[in-house]
Amino acid sequence: MNIVLGVIGSDCHSVGNKVLEAFFSEAGFHVINLGVMVSQDEFIDAAIESDAKAILVSSLYGHGEIDCEGLRQKCEERGLEDIVLYVGGNLVVGKTPFDEVERKFKAMGFDRVFCAHDDLHQAAEDLKVDIAARNRHA
Amino acid sequence: MPDPVLLSVDIGSTYTKGAVFVPRGEAFDLLAQAAVPTTVDDLGRGFEAVESALQAAAAPAGISRAWFSSSARGGLKIAAVGLTTDLTVSIARQAACSAGGKVVKAYSYRLTRAEIEELEALAPDIVLFTGGTDGGHEKTNLANAEALAASCLDSIILYAGNAKIGDDVLARLKGKTVAVADNVMPEVGEVRIEPARDVIRRVFLERIVDGKGLSRIVRRIGTAPKPTPLAVYDLVRAIPEAVPAWDGLGVIDMGGATTDFYSNLETGRPDDGVLLKGLPEPRIKRTVEGDLGLRVSVLALAASQAREIESRLEAEGLDQAGFEAYLASVAASPEAVPASAVEERYDAVLAGACVRAAALRHAGRQTRLATPQGVFRVQRGRDIGRLRRLVGSGGYLSRCRDAAVLREACLRPDEDPEDRPLLPAAPELYADARYLFPLLGNCVAEYPDAAARTAVREALPLEPTR
Repeated sequence: MNIVLGVIGSDCHSVGNKVLEAFFSEAGFHVINLGVMVSQDEFIDAAIESDAKAILVSSLYGHGEIDCEGLRQKCEERGLEDIVLYVGGNLVVGKTPFDEVERKFKAMGFDRVFCAHDDLHQAAEDLKVDIAARNRHA
Repeated sequence: MPDPVLLSVDIGSTYTKGAVFVPRGEAFDLLAQAAVPTTVDDLGRGFEAVESALQAAAAPAGISRAWFSSSARGGLKIAAVGLTTDLTVSIARQAACSAGGKVVKAYSYRLTRAEIEELEALAPDIVLFTGGTDGGHEKTNLANAEALAASCLDSIILYAGNAKIGDDVLARLKGKTVAVADNVMPEVGEVRIEPARDVIRRVFLERIVDGKGLSRIVRRIGTAPKPTPLAVYDLVRAIPEAVPAWDGLGVIDMGGATTDFYSNLETGRPDDGVLLKGLPEPRIKRTVEGDLGLRVSVLALAASQAREIESRLEAEGLDQAGFEAYLASVAASPEAVPASAVEERYDAVLAGACVRAAALRHAGRQTRLATPQGVFRVQRGRDIGRLRRLVGSGGYLSRCRDAAVLREACLRPDEDPEDRPLLPAAPELYADARYLFPLLGNCVAEYPDAAARTAVREALPLEPTR
């Protein structure tokens, strides 16, 4: 199963990205890793060509909100109606409580929102469930 | 045993040119050259006329081997079909260009009825049909296969998309002339154009040779033609292999209808602090610009480069109205040559604008980006900054001895190094002074080193005149 991975916007943090690639590959996904500084269109192009079931967006530098705004709508516009969208990292600057951050990004259309100490094994399990659910009613 | 005498002929859209060579030492001796107007109704007659003009030079041994290339009748017309503009459509274009084809149109996503009608009208020789990674996207390809099957196109449809659905695509294309190659993008961002290129080359023989007066030539000389741009591409590949000092080579072939830019250099890793974006760049690349040409495309050139041309005319103190009149006259009669010194300067302005635009489109760009982690430079496309030599070929550039025209392809001193096109910084400039590059490219198949060394020997260094 193909999933697309990358760090969005003008963000160059590459270490976590490599860790995620290794982890999700190990968990049985075929990971298309676009690396750092990935635009919304690059995520979507890669997902269309590879028929990916999910896009996993990382943002570490605090500008995630601006970078992620409109990604869900753009996916829908470009024909990816059933794609699972995850986002994780240090999504906003400052000490905003995580549940507030989560609410904000879910309102933007992300299926799940992750913070730095979330468990990756759980994330991989969730991802399988969410992909199955999205494709059931597709 | 006497030295073999080699004949090479290029059938261009306007002239059919030829030369006879004899291998001597590490290179060729050039015995003679000839040119006749291309005989569009029967391309073979032009070939035969050139051949007989060169017979005397080949005597007494006579011609022992012959090759030819053709770009007559619009060359090899390819329509590129893919899924997303920045990925498979872009790679399909690249595959078509590197096989010596002319991309008549490129389409993304699902083909609409209007697009199918447009394709039927364009009647390309090949539809290069791509889309999806292997095991990736399916829906659009299947729909496009059905749309192509239902059309009245008689082009060869070359499928080089998602290989996992190749059988389904072929089943839907039943009744069409179909060819298959490996996927041009098996994984996102992985460019694999060689297999498609090889099939395009084979298809060229079937399509171009038949019915254009060339089959009798092929039967007689025993070798099949190449598209002219492929001959030049092969030469550009062969030169640094035979003459390593000539690595980092660029060739601009400017014709009446198109301007082709070829480069062969190690694109390698960028400098520290530079982030590469977009598809990986191949070592050898050809880009072709259908709107940049000095004669057939002169109006398109004047339109797309209007501002650039206007400022040049002003800088040179040339008259805009006179220029407009000249444009109209060469557009009406593409065989025209400048009749006065002023018209020659008009041509130089047009040629300079052409070279500049072709170089800007061939080269990538580096832009500066301030991020919270510091300032980065982001590079998209091809860095030809380290080109060491740039050769001008084609009717105009092979005659041109003014280095200023070719220098238009180079980086200007005032260009901001932090946000700039990745143009050659300071290459040595040359002219393919006897216009031999396509002819030598034909000989690369059997004499790669000798053809390459001959090209290097014949390249005339240009001294700046101002």
